[in-house]
Amino acid sequence: MSDSPILSVSRLVKHFPTKAGVVRAVDDISFDVATGDTLGLVGESGSGKTTTAQCILGIYPPTSGQISFDGAPIGVVFNRRRKVLKRKIRIVFQDPGSSLNPKRTIKQILTVPLKVHGMGSARERLSMMSELLEMVELPPAEYLYKHPQAIGGGEKQMVAIARALATNPRFVVLDEPTSALDVSVQGKIINLLMRLAEELELTYLFITHDLSLMRNVATRVAIMYLGKLCEIARTEQFFRAPQHPYTKMLLSSIPVVTSDEEALKPTKIVSQGEIPSPVNVPPGCSFHLRCPARMPICSQIDPEMQELADGQMVRCHLYNHSPD
Amino acid sequence: MDDLLAIKNLHVGFRIFEGRLHVLNGVQLDVREGERVGLVGETGCGKTTTVKSVLRVLPKPPAEVLDGQILYRGRDVLDMSRRQMIMLRRHELTAIFQDPLQSLNPVFTIGTQLRDIVKDSAIGRGKRLSRRDVEDRCIEALRETGMPDPERIMTNYPVQLSGGMRQRICIAEALSTNARLLLADEPTTNLDVTIQDQILRKLDELVEEKGASVVMITHSMGVVRDLTERANIMYAGSIVEAGETRELLETPKHPYTKGLMASVPKLTGEGISEGIPGRIPNYLDPPSGCRFHPRCEHQMDICTNEPPPLYEIGDGHRVACHLYREAS
Repeated sequence: MSDSPILSVSRLVKHFPTKAGVVRAVDDISFDVATGDTLGLVGESGSGKTTTAQCILGIYPPTSGQISFDGAPIGVVFNRRRKVLKRKIRIVFQDPGSSLNPKRTIKQILTVPLKVHGMGSARERLSMMSELLEMVELPPAEYLYKHPQAIGGGEKQMVAIARALATNPRFVVLDEPTSALDVSVQGKIINLLMRLAEELELTYLFITHDLSLMRNVATRVAIMYLGKLCEIARTEQFFRAPQHPYTKMLLSSIPVVTSDEEALKPTKIVSQGEIPSPVNVPPGCSFHLRCPARMPICSQIDPEMQELADGQMVRCHLYNHSPD
Repeated sequence: MDDLLAIKNLHVGFRIFEGRLHVLNGVQLDVREGERVGLVGETGCGKTTTVKSVLRVLPKPPAEVLDGQILYRGRDVLDMSRRQMIMLRRHELTAIFQDPLQSLNPVFTIGTQLRDIVKDSAIGRGKRLSRRDVEDRCIEALRETGMPDPERIMTNYPVQLSGGMRQRICIAEALSTNARLLLADEPTTNLDVTIQDQILRKLDELVEEKGASVVMITHSMGVVRDLTERANIMYAGSIVEAGETRELLETPKHPYTKGLMASVPKLTGEGISEGIPGRIPNYLDPPSGCRFHPRCEHQMDICTNEPPPLYEIGDGHRVACHLYREAS
């Protein structure tokens, strides 16, 4: 699979200077996404998941670091990006209630990306839109002339997905696409997304806080905490043998619904402390204040990402075997 | 065993311009002394309306109670006078809501708000506390919820605290009155999992210590499994399945519960089902008979005509579905 990554992020930093100090939203992260993969980017609120996505999309220019897509660097602001890139990289936002214009019909909403990228004549566009709606399993005759308020939350998200796919993208960022929805609706959206990924050969960056969902969806999982990555691994490996203390804490905090699942959780690590503010990141390893396995070194030196066996990357002093 | 709270056949509607929204459709719920009961359902199924009916805080109009009883220790809450209701809320009932920013007043410090509650509940019990006692109790209540540095927190405003801290304050306020029944309406839905875990554990501990009963309202099956002994699954304004929590979640019987359980993503990674087709009905004109029938794959003729009662299928496990008519 991972011969050449479609997206590669290296040493990405995004700081926001504010009156209260510098917010270190994303602080030196590196990862690759291979073509056809679904990378699950998981973290709690304020961990910098969305900022990472926004840098990839060009909504913010990175403070430093490199983002490359198909081998070409793309770390510039949106309005200086080449149009073809905007067509290839698309996003689905969390809340379809606010990402769809309530005053426009679904047809008008779907026309925008097609017009902007000069795809087809007016007549061709209409048939393209019908195809798009069919792709997301909404009968076009019924939905084209409706307003977003007239349809349910799940259906709105389907429209948002159709809009993202309108320009034949290769890479789609899914920013918590189902966290505003009920579980019975979530299933349908997730299955649709997975089917589309296969049919259209899409690569996803799936941002979420739901690890159980990632177990079923992602091919690789990356855990983010306070603007830094803690652990990246292939999904099976990750859930079989989580390494970083934060990952273990996260996994053992998930409320599960069956006893089979209970058996898969790591031994209970009692969660303690608050997530520190990204303005005032603790020195050394940012997790050391809440870490059950903290050592003296943790409050002084920030650990480096290192590779354990077969592609599992962990950033923690516990796995630092270099002589010192 | 006597029920602390028994909701019997509660029907609540909302009068709006287009007609009447018939939201609660015969809710049956009972909570025994010292018991933790879960009320689970998706958005718009009437969980919060149920809680608000018990607390009698629904705005009337548009809300109206059409039928039913809410018995608290055998007395109907719906018949109580304003004064009796105030006493009930002061001593017996307490609630935690989903969004702590909405339950806390933004222009007063945490201290001011907490002191009011402590003073008020003491006065209700015929005691007057000295200023020092009030202060001590407040700080004690905050410390119990695991809050670091309670003295400083007392001087803070709600906006100065994080979501987890605010929710701890609501818990401190709710439990400082020694209430007998706690209605927790999605207390951790807005929080991150590690913080949720801390808060739920603390809540569990405190409830255990004070011997209060809890109605835990949530949409998360996992939270219910962790925290409650009995669970009630709610759909479109009525309880569709009730039983001992673990048993209910391991062997769900109602088609809705089954569909719901199959759509919960699991750590075992066997994939996610397609979910349940359709969506929650329009309360202006809800489906006849069983309200779930338009979405149900086992739909029979009887389902469209007759609303199913809760059939007992053994060991306190009850299902409101015509499929289990014979089994009961």
